Amino acid sequence: MSVEMNKTILRMKINGKAVEVTVKPTWTLLRILREELRLTGTKKGCEQGDCGACTVIMDGKAVNACLVLALQAESKEIETIEGLGTPDDLHPLQGSFIENGAVQCGYCTPGMLMSGAALLDKNPKPNIDEIKRAISGNLCRCTGYVKIIDAIGKASK
Amino acid sequence: MQNFQFHSASSLEDGLDYLAERAGGCKIIAGGTDLIPALRKADLSFSVTRQKSDQNSVSGSGELCKIVAGGGDVIPMMPKNTHPDYVLNILEIEELRGVTETDDTVRIGPTTTFTEMMESEVLNRCLPLLVQAASSVGGPQIRNRGTIGGNIVSNAPCADVLPAVLALEGNLELHSKKSGMRILPVAEALEAPYKTSIAADEILTGILIGKLPPGTRSGFEKLGRRNAMTTARMNMSVVLKLDDDGTISDLRIVPGAVMPVTRRMTDAEEILLGKKPEASLIEESATLMAESIFKITGIRWSTEYKKPVVQNIFKRILKQLLQDN
Repeated sequence: MSVEMNKTILRMKINGKAVEVTVKPTWTLLRILREELRLTGTKKGCEQGDCGACTVIMDGKAVNACLVLALQAESKEIETIEGLGTPDDLHPLQGSFIENGAVQCGYCTPGMLMSGAALLDKNPKPNIDEIKRAISGNLCRCTGYVKIIDAIGKASK
Repeated sequence: MQNFQFHSASSLEDGLDYLAERAGGCKIIAGGTDLIPALRKADLSFSVTRQKSDQNSVSGSGELCKIVAGGGDVIPMMPKNTHPDYVLNILEIEELRGVTETDDTVRIGPTTTFTEMMESEVLNRCLPLLVQAASSVGGPQIRNRGTIGGNIVSNAPCADVLPAVLALEGNLELHSKKSGMRILPVAEALEAPYKTSIAADEILTGILIGKLPPGTRSGFEKLGRRNAMTTARMNMSVVLKLDDDGTISDLRIVPGAVMPVTRRMTDAEEILLGKKPEASLIEESATLMAESIFKITGIRWSTEYKKPVVQNIFKRILKQLLQDN
């Protein structure tokens, strides 16, 4: 796959659906999710891999969408917050975040949920240290993390 | 980001061909955890220059000031002026990934991620030092993308895995289209901060590490401003072997993030080599190590803090290793 300065077609699977997007080589996965596909649940924060607001699951692993060049996502399977649950059919983690008051301003929440989901996919019964470690790449400036940790723990039971 | 052309290599040969024709202006990308912020920073310095010549753009400069202030502690450490014309993706080259072993050597593919290192049965069994170092990097998202090869070739002063590879006397296997394959000890590759002696047309194809003789112990510790997602203020990798009579027959000390270029503390090692680990000798070794470090860096505002801390970390790791039986 060689790409000149102009745009090229990127193919991948997002939330189980095959998609094709025309992208520039300089664009990141975050940019195409938000600006091209209008999947704005994935948040843009620091854009240098520090805050985790843009966390998505790529081929089963939590990654910062701001640190993946769009063209590196060729043929990958991406799961975003839009694929986790729907208002009528919440993912257990989403229900637990609401029940346990784990959301304040909400900006970190999609990233927290994706990191939590990546953890539970691999480890359905994590202990508190495993939960803390799993969300250690996600910053929250409101909650102090306690209720988020609680919510992930309760969702796993 | 400023424009570049992108190529995803389908094989090593394809990657080497691509690089051979574009060596000067090409950057190799794997996990992107260092390169992508550096490309953004290059943009930032570009817009700063542009902004200066456009004094009337008040709203623009206000926004810019905010961005620069929000740069935190990562942006200042990035190398300046990363403006590649070409970016070569090596993540899809299957043979560059994974950990294998022979009777006496462990081979780590350069695009093996920190998470894969932590999960590697071979590394957990043969080289636990690398597992400890890898697990100290960033958070899960960074460990899922960042690679051992990137940690070495970036040669950042604050690298976490590089000091461990140095302590394990790792060798780099490099390939280029022009010169074929060569082996370079990692210690000889590190030239200056963010700079190595790896040629622009070379791709790192493997990190080769000899298995440690039975009974060899190793320890790692990292000190950051918080527990997770932190840039090392300091880290340390130590490898130790005792003879049957308790004499130190091998000792390698590599402090990280305290010098511009990571290196072994051979003077401090020699104090203890061939001797029994008596408290006074350990003290002498720790003192000499701190002196060697600050001879290189000069006295700074942080020296008063770092000097006792680097000594204490060394003594703590050594004490732990001497207790392990």
